[in-house]
Amino acid sequence: MDFWREIFMALSRNKLRTFLTGFAISWGIFILIVLLAAGNGITNGITQEFSDQSKNTYMLFGGETSKPFRGHGTNRSIWFTDKDIRFLENEAQHVDQVSPTINSSGFAYFGDQSCSVNMRGVRPVFQSISNVDLVKGRLLNERDERQSEKVAVIDDAVEKHLFDDGTSPIGQFIIVNGIAYKVVGVYEGDPNSNGGGALVPFSTLKKITNQRYYWMLRFTVKGLETKEDNEAYTEYLRAQLAHLHEFDPDDHSAVYIRSTQEEYLQTMKIFNTLELFIWIIGFAMLASGIVGVSNIMRITVKERTNEIGIRKALGAKSRSILASIVTESVLITAIFGYIGMWLGMVVAEASGSILAKIQEGNSFSLNIVPSIDIRIVLMATVLLIVCGVLAGFFPARNAVKVKPIEAMNYR
Amino acid sequence: MMIALKDINKTYFGAQPLHVLKGINLNVEEGEMVSIMGASGSGKSTLLNILGILDNYDTGEYYLNGKLVKDLSENEAADVRNRTIGFIFQSFNLIPFKTAMENVALPLYYQNVSRKKRNELALEYLERFGLKEWADHYPNELSGGQKQRVSMARALVTHPKVILADEPTGALDSKTSAEVMQILREVNQTGITMIIVTHEKGIALRTNKIIHLKDGVIENIETNNPDLIDFNTEIK
Repeated sequence: MDFWREIFMALSRNKLRTFLTGFAISWGIFILIVLLAAGNGITNGITQEFSDQSKNTYMLFGGETSKPFRGHGTNRSIWFTDKDIRFLENEAQHVDQVSPTINSSGFAYFGDQSCSVNMRGVRPVFQSISNVDLVKGRLLNERDERQSEKVAVIDDAVEKHLFDDGTSPIGQFIIVNGIAYKVVGVYEGDPNSNGGGALVPFSTLKKITNQRYYWMLRFTVKGLETKEDNEAYTEYLRAQLAHLHEFDPDDHSAVYIRSTQEEYLQTMKIFNTLELFIWIIGFAMLASGIVGVSNIMRITVKERTNEIGIRKALGAKSRSILASIVTESVLITAIFGYIGMWLGMVVAEASGSILAKIQEGNSFSLNIVPSIDIRIVLMATVLLIVCGVLAGFFPARNAVKVKPIEAMNYR
Repeated sequence: MMIALKDINKTYFGAQPLHVLKGINLNVEEGEMVSIMGASGSGKSTLLNILGILDNYDTGEYYLNGKLVKDLSENEAADVRNRTIGFIFQSFNLIPFKTAMENVALPLYYQNVSRKKRNELALEYLERFGLKEWADHYPNELSGGQKQRVSMARALVTHPKVILADEPTGALDSKTSAEVMQILREVNQTGITMIIVTHEKGIALRTNKIIHLKDGVIENIETNNPDLIDFNTEIK
C-alpha cells in the first residue's frame, strides 16, 4: 500500500512528462492493435471464403506431356473423357462425388427478348461445391440429372434481360441454341462476369452437345484430413491418371492437380507472413515508445539522484529502490499501453462494424472485417509488462549503484 | 565502547591516488559528545562517511556497538544505518516533495512500520522540537532552523545509538546555530552518542572531546568542558 503511494506520488509530480512518455506507448500499441485487427480481418475474410466451400474439392486439369513415354512423344495434350469420370466414380479412393462440367454458350430467347448466355452442364453436387445461392425456385436435382430433363436454373443477369417486364421466370421456357429449357430456379450470378449464366443438368447438355472431352474435372473427397494425406493422394491420382492416359508418372505437366485444401494452406501461408510483418511493424512502433520510456526513466532517475541518496542513507535497500523505479516504469507502460490498446480496439471494432454494413448484401466480395481476438490482447499485455520492466530496469540499476554519499552531493 | 576505529586507512583511486585517511585510531564511549575538527581536505568528511557506513575503508577495523563493520553487503549496511545511526546533514537533505511529517516518518518506512504508527511517531518527535503545527508543510515552506529541526527529528525517530552530524550548523545563522547545538546537547544527555563534524571552534567547544584531524591523521585529542561556555552566547 505504502509502496504504491510512493509510486503514485512520483508519477503525479511531473504530470506532463508522465503523459508525454505514456503517449508514445499508447500510440505504439494503438498502431499495433489496429494493424493486427486489419490483418485479422483480411485473414478471416479469406478463411470464410474457403469455408464456403465446405468440402475439400479436387480439380484435375488436362495439360501437355513434357516427357516421352512408351513410344509417345512430348507435347501431347491430355484431355479427360468419360473413362476418367468412370474411374473416379468407380475405382479411385476417397472420391465422394464427381462433378464434371460441360460448357456451351449461345443466345437465350424468351418472347422478343434475348441475351447471351453461358450454359454449364453440371451435376447437382456442383451447386453445393461452388456455393450457388438460390434466389427463387429450386436448384437442379438428381432426378433432373438421371432423366436428362431440359430444365435450367438461370442467374439473375439472365432473369433481368429476359424477364424485364416482371414476369416470373419460374415455369417459363427459354430457347437456347434451338432447345427449349424450362426455368426452374434463379441463382445469384457473379456480378463481375459480363453476360448471363445458366445451369442445366450435365446429362442433358452432354446429350445435346455430344461432348466427349473435358478440360477439367472436379470432385469432392472424404477422409483426407492432413496436408500429408492430401499430398499422398495427389501422387496417387497422378499415378493412376498416368496409367489411364499413358504418360510418365513423374511428368508433372501432363495433368495439373489442385485441391482447395492445398490452396487454403498456400493462402494461409501468405497471410501468416502478413501477420508476422504486421507484428514486426507494430513492434518497431512500440520499440520507439519503449526507448522513450527508458529515456524518461533515465532522466527521472538522474533528477532523483539526491532523493535516492537520502533514502539510501536512511536505510533504503537497493531492492526497494529498484522495485519502485521498475514498478513506476511498468505502471506507465501498462496504463498508457492499455489506453492505446483500448482506443485501438474501439477504432478496430467501429471500422469493423462499418465495413460489415457496407459489405452486407455484397456476398461475392471478400468480407474484410477487422477484429481483435483475446490472444492478441493477452500477448500485447505480456509485451507491455516485459517492455516496462526492460525500460525501467537499466536506469534503475544505474541509480542504485551510486554510493549514497555521492548521490546526496549530486547537483 | 560505542565506536572503536583501529588503524583505518582509506585511499581514493583517481587519476592520482589520494591517501585520505592514514591509520586512524579512535574510541568513542557510549553517551559521549565528540566533535571532529579539521580544515577542508583533512579527511573529516571521509571519516564521517566511514563511521556512517556510507563509504567503505581499505584496511583496519571498525567496531560499531561492539560489532565489526567490514565488507557488509549493501543490504546489511542499509539495515545497520537504519537501526543504529541517525544522520544530520549540513544541507538538511529533506525530500522536497514530502511534508515535514512524511520526511520524519521515512526511516520507519524502511523498517516496515505501519503508516499510522509511523505518522504518530513522527508527530511525536516534531512536537518535541516544537514543529507540530508545521507537520503538513513542505521543506521549502520552512526556515533553515526549522528544516534542521525536522532533520533532527528524522534522525532520532528510529531511536539510534549514534547521531552523526555533518556541519549541522553550516547553513544556519549564529543564533539558530546556538539553538540547534542546545538541542543536540539535550539529545546527547538522553544517552545518545553524538559525533559532530565541524570547522567552527564555537561548535567544537560545546562538545566533551575535540578530535583534531590534519592530513588524514589525528593530530591530537582535546578534552573539553562544555559547561564552561555560556550556551546562550552566540557561536560565530
